Amino acid sequence: MITTKKINQYIERIPPAPKALKETLSFLNNGELTKASHVAQNDPALSRYLRELVNKPIYGFTNEISDISQIFGILGVSGSQQSVYNYMTTLLSPEKWVLFKLDARKFHELQARLSKNWETILKHLNIEDKDISTSISLLPASIIVTEALFCEKIDDVTLLRGVKKIDYNTILYRLSGIGIFDICEQISKKWEMSEKVSNIIQASSGTKPSTDENTNRLGKWMHLLLFYELSKPLFIEAGLNDFIDFHIEYVSDIYEEFATLMEIS
Amino acid sequence: MRAIVKDGIGIFTPQGFLDGGNGESFLSLDDIKATSQLKVDMILVSLKKVIFFNKNGLDIFMKVFAKVRQANNITVGFCDYDKLKYDTIKVFYKDEVNFSLFKTKEIARLFSSSFKNQNKNVLLFSHDKSQRSAMAIELHDNGHNPIIAQSKEEFIEKSKNKDAYDFIIDNSFLGQMGQKIATRVTGNAIIYTISSFLDAQIVDKFNVEYHNNSLNVGFRLFIFDAFRVVSMNVHAMNFFSRLASSAAEYNASICFVGLSFDKTPNTFKENLEDSGILFYEKMDDILQNKELLKELGASSASNVKNKRVINKKIVSELPRFIDATVQTIEMMTNSKAVKRSAKVDNILIGDKKEKIASSIGYYGDLDGMLILIFPKEIAKKACELLVGEKTDDVELILDTLAELVNIIGGKIKTMLSDHDISVDITLPRTYHNVDSLLEVIKGRKGVQVDLAFDDDKFIFFLTR
Repeated sequence: MITTKKINQYIERIPPAPKALKETLSFLNNGELTKASHVAQNDPALSRYLRELVNKPIYGFTNEISDISQIFGILGVSGSQQSVYNYMTTLLSPEKWVLFKLDARKFHELQARLSKNWETILKHLNIEDKDISTSISLLPASIIVTEALFCEKIDDVTLLRGVKKIDYNTILYRLSGIGIFDICEQISKKWEMSEKVSNIIQASSGTKPSTDENTNRLGKWMHLLLFYELSKPLFIEAGLNDFIDFHIEYVSDIYEEFATLMEIS
Repeated sequence: MRAIVKDGIGIFTPQGFLDGGNGESFLSLDDIKATSQLKVDMILVSLKKVIFFNKNGLDIFMKVFAKVRQANNITVGFCDYDKLKYDTIKVFYKDEVNFSLFKTKEIARLFSSSFKNQNKNVLLFSHDKSQRSAMAIELHDNGHNPIIAQSKEEFIEKSKNKDAYDFIIDNSFLGQMGQKIATRVTGNAIIYTISSFLDAQIVDKFNVEYHNNSLNVGFRLFIFDAFRVVSMNVHAMNFFSRLASSAAEYNASICFVGLSFDKTPNTFKENLEDSGILFYEKMDDILQNKELLKELGASSASNVKNKRVINKKIVSELPRFIDATVQTIEMMTNSKAVKRSAKVDNILIGDKKEKIASSIGYYGDLDGMLILIFPKEIAKKACELLVGEKTDDVELILDTLAELVNIIGGKIKTMLSDHDISVDITLPRTYHNVDSLLEVIKGRKGVQVDLAFDDDKFIFFLTR
């Protein structure tokens, strides 16, 4: 159904970060928000994406914000970097979603919700680290990878999943020895993201806990956050709730803290 | 969300957080209706992967459950939870728990009609005395040996001796149990489970089309497990008489096991015997008696009423049957198939060693039987994706093979439906060896296609 060859071809086709984005990220890395916003506003698609993102209700701004330098100013260095990577992730997404009932609007909504809540979590954990902040932007890439690899096999996968509770990550791993989050790791390498990012993403899969305590703890928060969001009606109806397995036992020690932070009752 | 259906139990597995805002997205009435159409006798929601739920979320499930239970007599409830979740549900619903709670899927299975007469030793405890009795009665009726602990202390003490019990039940609750006519296959016999008062409604509860097609695909022994039948009226008696008459045309036998005539007139028994129905006290009187099984037709299913031939309509759809089979096996083995030869004749199997087989019947606009004969190695490889590891456990391989053939049947159904041909499929059957398959299809002609997956020969045979 899906061979290692097909996976390798997919990874090869993933484009490196475009020049303008690299430049924007480079300025952001040096804390030069103004220069970064100048480069960013010359990329119409990126500008449009950033405007749409910060004006989503979850960001809570009452007036529309359209100026890119203002957007970067509001988001700060980490937030801006995270948003640029979010945009890069969208470049991988298909024009038309087939496996999942998604579209660009719904996907951007998921990115925004994950990013905003990740920011809340990092604030709660007293973590100020650009790489850790950025790592959340790679998480939705797992959905894009799943869509890309399985979209031509919908009928087969539907029949298979009709007789056995088996998630896409497990199917892929059993077929090829490669998991969805391994492919995400490859993407992070292509985009020259920090190793910290790929380690957190691997831990967030719930299947490969990290030996590093801090990375593992962040992986747990990210895993739980993902399923908090995938329990929203919009994403359940898109077919995302069980695209990977939720590992309750993995997150049990942070659940109470998470529930308090997210005001779940 | 789709349910996984196995052994007559449909299980939905939501993940994450469950509340009033997303309950309907997890489980809609359409989802549950689609599941109930798959002839299940239980529909459960697994709470294994739910980390948070509130009463509003469960209430939404309750509403959907109530509708399907009333319409289909299906047992509904929750399974796969820990003590905290169990206690929370009990607090939410206090004395109004009208659904069932099974600590695990395996415990739910003990109460399902598809897992009867397994003679399992089951230790059980509930703080509620009436629940203890209700569970014990159900387990006993299902052919298990319940051992009731009368107190928590006794339960803890007895639980220590784990080897003494196949299952230990606590934190479970029986709500209203379903009363569907469940169907299961034992060897070449089909066993239907009937219960309570049998009246004119039996016509609606019994799937006559499924029964007729089981006759068509070679089943010759039909046993009605009637231990839980209280009585029957004349409408039900007439129904069974008609069923016996139609079975006689196929040389098939219909038997009743465990039917008591305390509240049913003895004249009914005479009438039913006149129409050819046989009565036995215990299931083992039939299933453990090889001579009797042979006499009743369960060891040889080849004496078909009409040996029917492959017709033009089936031949024109043959590529779809082959495609569905090949694509599924390719998917499961991640290998390519090569077609070696095709012919219309009696089945020809060169080397019978190290081969296992499976069959599935289909009926509707087309009818017939698809037979697949696998070298054990291919079967093992094809099952790896579902099992998750390599295995030599033959029972597990056969069980998984049945799931695989079910996938193929489902794919055929979808492919034919795309061309406006509507078919349903029967339960899949598996065969430990080729000889037991040949007993069923002896003398039947069909289309045989020899395929090879990575040089391993594999036989596809389509017959009627």
